[in-house]
Amino acid sequence: MLMWKLAFRNIFRQRRRSILTALSMTGGYVLCVLSFSMTEGSYSNVIKIFTEDHTGDIQIHSEDYLTRPKIHKNIDDNAAVERVLNQSEFVRSYTKRVFSPGLAYAGNESTPVKIVGVDPDLESNTSRLADKVKQGVYFNNQPNDDGYFKAMIGVRAATSLQLNIGDELILISQGADGSIANDIYIIGAIVGSRSSWDSSTVYLPLNSAHDFLTLHGKSHQYALALNDSADVIAATQSIQAQLPAFSVSPWMVVEETFYKTMQADKEGNLFGLFIIVFIVFIGVLNTVLMSVLERTHEFGVLKAIGSRPATITVMILLETTLLAFLSVVVGILLAIPIIYWFANVGIAMPEPVDVGGIAFQHMKGEFSLQVFLLPMLFILSFAIVVAILPGIRAARVLPTEAMRG
Amino acid sequence: MVKIQRLVLPLIFLFPGALCAESVPNNSATDVIKLIDDMEELYRGDASKAEITMRVETPYYKRSMKMESINLGTEKAFIRILSPKKERGVSTLKIDKEMWNYLPKINKVIKVPPSLMMGSWMGSDFTNDDLVKQTTLTEEYNLELAETDDTYIIDLTPRAQTVTVWGRIEYTISKADRIPLSQGFYDDKGDLIRSLVFKDPKMFQGRLIPSVMEMIPLNKEGHKTVIVYDALDFSPSGVNDSIFSLRNLRKRF
Repeated sequence: MLMWKLAFRNIFRQRRRSILTALSMTGGYVLCVLSFSMTEGSYSNVIKIFTEDHTGDIQIHSEDYLTRPKIHKNIDDNAAVERVLNQSEFVRSYTKRVFSPGLAYAGNESTPVKIVGVDPDLESNTSRLADKVKQGVYFNNQPNDDGYFKAMIGVRAATSLQLNIGDELILISQGADGSIANDIYIIGAIVGSRSSWDSSTVYLPLNSAHDFLTLHGKSHQYALALNDSADVIAATQSIQAQLPAFSVSPWMVVEETFYKTMQADKEGNLFGLFIIVFIVFIGVLNTVLMSVLERTHEFGVLKAIGSRPATITVMILLETTLLAFLSVVVGILLAIPIIYWFANVGIAMPEPVDVGGIAFQHMKGEFSLQVFLLPMLFILSFAIVVAILPGIRAARVLPTEAMRG
Repeated sequence: MVKIQRLVLPLIFLFPGALCAESVPNNSATDVIKLIDDMEELYRGDASKAEITMRVETPYYKRSMKMESINLGTEKAFIRILSPKKERGVSTLKIDKEMWNYLPKINKVIKVPPSLMMGSWMGSDFTNDDLVKQTTLTEEYNLELAETDDTYIIDLTPRAQTVTVWGRIEYTISKADRIPLSQGFYDDKGDLIRSLVFKDPKMFQGRLIPSVMEMIPLNKEGHKTVIVYDALDFSPSGVNDSIFSLRNLRKRF
């Protein structure tokens, strides 16, 4: 207790110097929190966009379909998968899909497309597909009176084929049995925007896509939306344990390239913060060294009356850490309103940015415990590191020499 | 791959008449070019009509199709799938080196582009190219004849300017029956890549012809295409140029 008291008093002995030092640490802290909140915020936004838009939080495939898709690598036991998913406490909803590259014809135009078969009802509960319909109406599982199924098409493909709602679309692909898959569909809706990831995709109702590709009811993918996206790892492990025959992948694996880029970017960002804090703490180091030098005489006295060297080191550490902690507390008080505004209102962008067909008006930060805690740990650990050297110096003081000076 | 397969399909698939080798000279050991030329001359026989069953086996699926094949000379061929129902009416027309597929469900004729020539024909181990190319083996390959007691073995190695994926083709012909027994396709390293085996010789209108062909790609484990001749008619009625037209290709049947 005495140590705390001493440390506290020592801080306020040189009030002006302490306040200036504290200010630089507060500034460093607020800067860290801001930058951290912004990266976390914009990345969680992007993650939210694509997991909600199409990837889901978790995907289930057969074998290595994810990295080497082949039409015959399909999930042959729908019942088992759906039983597990229906019982899982993590899963909010799921959808199943088939994929195949194909060639689309309309009139005299043709273009390569990605054919995706989805169950209309499951899909609208799991992904944003239904919200992305720009023209026409969301499709269903039923053929029309002439026996043709409805298809939905991405904007880019629709434009290059000059297709409108109600037009005929001819699709050609290869069936799972090696046959030439070919059929006519009616355009029921145009989805997304030109920059959507699925602007060259044709969506078919799942039952029709199964027939088209001769897949006999087997699907390539289950995409899962979770009740809480934060549980993604636990949910993946739980479902994988119950479905050992299939590959269960969280979005970090599905969007591996993005995930790795994000990790690298975050690391880079952290390094940037490290440099800022480093510079701040060179100043702090200077302050601590100065105060130790000024008090050489005192340390000599302390040692002469029997203080152990370790006590002196701990005191210096305590002083610096305490100062750092106070700065952080002030920093938190300053940062809370800023981050709160940043997370809820955000910086309005001069032009909305279109991400996968969804327009973003504001750049937003993240308001969470870790946004405040991590920079705090950063500052406190730096404070300790910086104080060690002067602390040791103070502890090594020889009483005779110190008092003589 | 291209040029060699010319041997394969024209031989068996499109021009089955050619398989009977009555005119192969008995002293062919002395003139291997003439042996092959003679066989090719035979392949350019008159018109023929065949009913064929093609079975495709892969590790992932098995599939069987019945089809009708009509040929006129080497240049023209018309193939129509009779079953299964899902693919009934899918047709292929070949005129010289061009090829079209007709898909009745979407009523569309699709010309097979050069980029798809090496693609599989109807999901089989034969390529589109196998159907289209004409054989000029004697021009593009150096031929070397070896003989065993009952077979001729002709070793074909590509000439310097020949564009091919094969390093060597080994073509075995039965001496007694004058019918092909097998063709082996080797790559540059001397590994066997594709093997075509002729089996079950049967008499079709007085000609002995292997009624079963098995194409086995050795670089694709578990893959096999078997073609069985169910019927073969060397003097079909009504086979004329009008069959080999885009208009006929498009005709519903």
